[in-house]
Amino acid sequence: MNGASHRLVQVPPGVQCFLGDEARRRRSIEERVIAVFEGWDYEEIIPPLFDYADVFASQALLPKTYSFVGRDGSLLALRPDFTSLLAKIAAGRLAGRPAPMRLYYSGEVLRYEPPRAGRQSELYQMGLEHLGGDPRAADAEVLAIAAECLDVLGVRGFVLALGHVGVVGGLLAGAALDAATLERLRERVEAKDPAGVRDALPAGAVAVPVAEALVRLTTLAGDAPVLAEAERALAFCPPALAAVTELRQVAEALRSAGLGGGLAIDLGEVRGLDYYTGLVFRAYAPGLGFEVGGGGRYDTLLARFGRPMPAVGFMLGLDRLALLLDRQGARPASVAAAAEVVGGNGLGPGLQRAREKRAAGVRVRFEERS
Amino acid sequence: MSLTIALSKGKLLAGTEDLFRKAGMPFPASEGRRLVVPVDGLRFLLVKDMDVPTYVEHGVADCGIAGRDVLLEMEPDVYEPVDLGFGRCRLVVARPRGASAAAGTSTVRVATKYPRVASAHFLERGRSVEVVRLAGSVELAPGLGLADCIVDVVETGRTLEENGLEVVEDVAASSARLIVNRASYHARREEISRLVGALEKARTA
Repeated sequence: MNGASHRLVQVPPGVQCFLGDEARRRRSIEERVIAVFEGWDYEEIIPPLFDYADVFASQALLPKTYSFVGRDGSLLALRPDFTSLLAKIAAGRLAGRPAPMRLYYSGEVLRYEPPRAGRQSELYQMGLEHLGGDPRAADAEVLAIAAECLDVLGVRGFVLALGHVGVVGGLLAGAALDAATLERLRERVEAKDPAGVRDALPAGAVAVPVAEALVRLTTLAGDAPVLAEAERALAFCPPALAAVTELRQVAEALRSAGLGGGLAIDLGEVRGLDYYTGLVFRAYAPGLGFEVGGGGRYDTLLARFGRPMPAVGFMLGLDRLALLLDRQGARPASVAAAAEVVGGNGLGPGLQRAREKRAAGVRVRFEERS
Repeated sequence: MSLTIALSKGKLLAGTEDLFRKAGMPFPASEGRRLVVPVDGLRFLLVKDMDVPTYVEHGVADCGIAGRDVLLEMEPDVYEPVDLGFGRCRLVVARPRGASAAAGTSTVRVATKYPRVASAHFLERGRSVEVVRLAGSVELAPGLGLADCIVDVVETGRTLEENGLEVVEDVAASSARLIVNRASYHARREEISRLVGALEKARTA
């Protein structure tokens, strides 16, 4: 029986293993992204791989979380995201540190996920959180950092699509809709499906202008003129209008800083309504059918940990970046030089010679016999 | 690079061709076995109807034409900007004429090409369900004792009638949709909006 048919070599679905050049490419992407984070004065946090299950806040991730019971009976979970852990650290270990805090991470998250389009159970995420400070300045800063990361990696033609959950939030504030209807409506706005948005609205549930504005959100995507269009369409609803104004401030700041090229407005971007509270964005690029990363503002999360503070962050998926760069043909260089074989001198002297070569920075392959 | 459009080789193809011709857009000739067909600056992929969402979700195709029934089953993460209005049908629960709802065991055995839709439909109503997944000729299943009922699409209801079945519940209404890959929507916005505009205009013409 050959080795490959041995049952123990079978791989569980959703896990990955990277070898040689591929591992090197991933490491190189990670190093370049981290250099950008460090360059903007963010501080690395290496959080634990698991923590108490109730630390992880996102309702959307709850069904995907690997949780287990610890020896003492407490419910624990493998981290399905980093943001909750960093928020906990900011409110706990770093309680005495004044805001704003700039923190970053790089590592695996684990999610129970049926493997499909670009999704694995083990995902490698690189991201940062800007906690406290001036919200608009922080929004603009993290977007500029996201753009710099993609630039530095040589991603061509990327687009940062900016939305704001306050638009839908403002429109639906006070509407008497049950949770299921609300979720269906959100999902149809997100799918940019005007017919579906109409179907999801029960007759008379919201005022006519609100219904029309919700349908309109499915087409409010594109360049800067979309903002003016949105301001006209949402003029009747001050909270929604205020959200668009915030978005305009950030978009204009980025534009005047020379980042207008890779920017798009997408008011139908409404994922994570239970989690995000302001700006949301996703990064897309030609060659990959799904986003390579994204983020947004989550001003209510830190209060869960007892230190209320506005916050914004984003993450880039290493797996998706590697795939995207591969598809765009922008492979980073692999190893520069072949190894020099050292051998034939006897074990002691041979090792001595190899160490000398190493001290001189030479890549060696030690081939000595005892 | 030209825009890539995934089309279903199945029942939606004729309606899609009508709409594209009305919109003055290129369309692949009906003969031929080629599955990747470049025509006048567009590239068409001819695939199975259940596969259209997959091609579009992965971005192998920038957009595609798929029935809402297929989208409900596959739940792809794509945009659905246009209800194209043709290919109208209903997803229904049907069972042998005269069989009473209380008949059979407490677990519903349902034969279907739509396992996700079928099981969600019964589970949401507090019914335990056993899904028998079939690739076609689903109407045969109850008569042969493979299932108590079926979840399938009906247009006229004639096939059901001929097989001694009647509709007992509506699950969802369906029609053909334009679906668009999320990255293409943003990264190739101008081409996509031209396509969306042309199809919307043709639909209402």
